[in-house]
Amino acid sequence: MSNKQILLGNEAIARGVVEAGCEVAAAYPGTPSSEILPAIAKWADDLGTRTVVEWGANEKVAFEMAAAASFTGKRSCAVMKQVGLNVAADPFMSVAQFKLKGGFLLIAADDPGPHSSQTEQDSRFFAMFAKIPCFDPATAVEAKEMVFDAYDLSERHNVITMLRPGVRVDHCRQDIELKDVIDLSRPASFEKDPNRWVCLPARVKINHPQLNEKREAIRKEFETKFPKYNYEVPARKKARLGIIAAGVSFSIVTDILRAWGADDVSVLKIGTPHPLPIRMVEDFISRHDNVVILEETYPVIEMQIPDRTKVKGRWNGWVPSAGELLPEIIEEILCKVLGKAAPEGAPDDLRKAAEELNITPRRPMLCPGCPHRASFFSIRQTLPKAIYPSDIGCYTLGVNQGMVDAVLDMGASITQASGLYMAYKADGKEQPIVASIGDSTFFHMGLPGLASAVYNKHAFVLAILDNSLTAMTGGQSHPGIGDKLRKGETGRKVDLEGAVRGCGVNWVKTTAAYDISTSRSLVKEAWEYARTHEEPAVLIFRHPCMLLRQKQAVIPVTVDPEKCIGCKFCINFFNCPGLVFDEKTKKAYIDERFCVKCGVCINVCPHGAILATEGEEA
Amino acid sequence: MQYVIVGIGGQGILFSSRVLGHIALSKGERVIGSEVHGMAQRGGSVISHFKVGDYNSPLVKANEADVLLAFDQNEAVRNMHFLKPGGHAVVNTHAPAFAENPSLTKWMSEREARLHTVMGYDMLKKEMGGRFLFLNVLILGAMCGAGVGGVTIEEVLEAVRALAPAKFVEDNVKAVNLGYEGTK
Ligand SMILES: Cc1ncc(C[n+]2csc(CCOP(=O)(O)OP(=O)(O)O)c2C)c(N)n1
Ligand code: SF4
Ligand code: SF4
Ligand code: SF4
Repeated sequence: MSNKQILLGNEAIARGVVEAGCEVAAAYPGTPSSEILPAIAKWADDLGTRTVVEWGANEKVAFEMAAAASFTGKRSCAVMKQVGLNVAADPFMSVAQFKLKGGFLLIAADDPGPHSSQTEQDSRFFAMFAKIPCFDPATAVEAKEMVFDAYDLSERHNVITMLRPGVRVDHCRQDIELKDVIDLSRPASFEKDPNRWVCLPARVKINHPQLNEKREAIRKEFETKFPKYNYEVPARKKARLGIIAAGVSFSIVTDILRAWGADDVSVLKIGTPHPLPIRMVEDFISRHDNVVILEETYPVIEMQIPDRTKVKGRWNGWVPSAGELLPEIIEEILCKVLGKAAPEGAPDDLRKAAEELNITPRRPMLCPGCPHRASFFSIRQTLPKAIYPSDIGCYTLGVNQGMVDAVLDMGASITQASGLYMAYKADGKEQPIVASIGDSTFFHMGLPGLASAVYNKHAFVLAILDNSLTAMTGGQSHPGIGDKLRKGETGRKVDLEGAVRGCGVNWVKTTAAYDISTSRSLVKEAWEYARTHEEPAVLIFRHPCMLLRQKQAVIPVTVDPEKCIGCKFCINFFNCPGLVFDEKTKKAYIDERFCVKCGVCINVCPHGAILATEGEEA
Repeated sequence: MQYVIVGIGGQGILFSSRVLGHIALSKGERVIGSEVHGMAQRGGSVISHFKVGDYNSPLVKANEADVLLAFDQNEAVRNMHFLKPGGHAVVNTHAPAFAENPSLTKWMSEREARLHTVMGYDMLKKEMGGRFLFLNVLILGAMCGAGVGGVTIEEVLEAVRALAPAKFVEDNVKAVNLGYEGTK
């Protein structure tokens, strides 16, 4: 048997990174990219390489760490989700113009749909913006293979290279061939050369034209030297319909065509969308009367085609300009183009059944026992008239409790609180504001906003919801925790209270998130301090995330139907999956399929209807 | 063979496709599938696709699944359109009356699709102290009990033994057998 394992796409990519001899890898987690860095650490341990694998506090930090490591001649890699690249855009645009030394691979994971992101954007577009080469894998197998070519290309042209897997590649599971590590034996050797490593404007005048030259040289290679990623199936045919497809859309469309047994359609697969092998594409278009372009999610290939008259794509509305190109959507496009009868949509009978049975999609909720729920409850009950700017993390689901009024991007809870304060101040009005941010997000991008709020004397309460984890993305470490990725390595924990004080905050206190009564009095005190002193006050709510499965008191609860008056207060303001409402009896009850016996809801019911049944320690 | 596995975030549905993958690989077959990670894992509707054979795309298209494995009956109804004519749905059930819904039975019988139910919550409550996390293997047992899905109970047991953490192997085996015996 060959050395095959079934891997997650991200594990396959990580394996490629280690096999290709990468020695420095850095990332900040974000769905769908989060599994890549831990997998790099795991493969490096398995294979015994020296690879240094570390989380940065944010994507800009991680990107710069990896970039500078490549200045020494080593192969390095930075990993992030698509919006992470927005954060790292500054060094990314700058490095793109550098004449690099060691291979530098940027893995930017996109999330068409989106499934777990604040935007739906296309990182290939960013590659085009920065004028750097980009690989767009159709499967996990291909993604792993592309890692090797990306490094090779990066080193031959001294340019950063992007691998852009979409969520369906990151989170696909596929059988993957494992190989050995390429031993590059490259000692780190940074050669001082300000002309090379300092981005002075005078240097940019030379670098920019050079970047243009690199791009055209790479385009030439993509035209002819990469038949494994850019090819036609079946080869060089003139068919009734020509499809240009990239990424997972290629995989989907070829599966559909095979299932149809369609033989009058040919497909040009593009694995290198930028710089586009234009001649190859134009030749394909010239042989077909009817051409459709399938790519996710922006028209990156489409826009690079000089003459689009024959092309059916996004510019003329044949392909939807937002959302994931799911198999059903691609099938519909093909049917429309070929004049075939459209496949049956969601069947009426099933829709009726769902209606009759009262079934709707389940919205995500904070886990049973989640500390954020208790923190939000304490804040809301204390300052119900406040505005609640919040941030990105599990606690964004506090929207279910009316505790999330505005979210922009990571770190913006604090800066939005500042902006809101400034707007009300312009009217000479006092407005209570409580911002909430997670511990990981605070270290990611909370610090500059907090320093700025202290400096400008902005009155608001900042609740730092410290669950000792980057939970939303699956439970990664961060500076406030201190654990590191490779076995046997420990980092140093950065003290959260100290960091807050270091920004100049005078009122910093910590409360146990589950302790609603203490938390409530501290919320009150914090706001009193903030408004009387005109400065931010920071209250840290602490309790570990349920994912950490730490031991805690087990408190089974029940709802006393005699005492429950059916007011739904607990549903509307507490919103635990374990505490649900029976519309028939008009009473709340505990759904034991989900309740984890944290006991917090006992203090929630104003009518004393939620009771502990028996206490025990686990 | 194309499977769609549905449930609610937190139910551990990913493990089921890992078991199916392990079996397929040991037979030398190609596999590809798609999982949900991220926001939806927090209690939202989740769906996993899994295909064994010569496929490029990780996604199962509507009307093409041989088997729908549902950890939750509501999610089963919402995702039934994935089933191909003649396909089989294996559904963990907490309120069996749903199976009598006339619109649902009409749709199923028109396309000769079959519904197999298993009262997983009840069984795990009675037999395994309410440790509902074992649903993910119980449902595989139920699939074998229904005689569908192209894998045998022996293969499932072997894969579960190989993949489950050592101290939970016996519990997993017990849950598989509960599902196997309990399918209707
Ligand atoms: C720029 C950017 N990077 C990464 C992400 C992915 N992401 C979503 S929430 C989150 C962090 C959550 O951690 P924390 O703030 O501690 O909150 P928790 O989920 O633990 O409650 C991350 C990294 C993102 N949305 N945007
Ligand atoms: S994963 Fe942790 S932080 Fe996120 S909802 Fe669950 S308990 Fe809360
Ligand atoms: S348990 Fe309490 S809060 Fe919930 S509905 Fe009953 S009386 Fe209202
Ligand atoms: S004890 Fe109450 S708050 Fe805790 S999980 Fe159970 S229902 Fe939810």
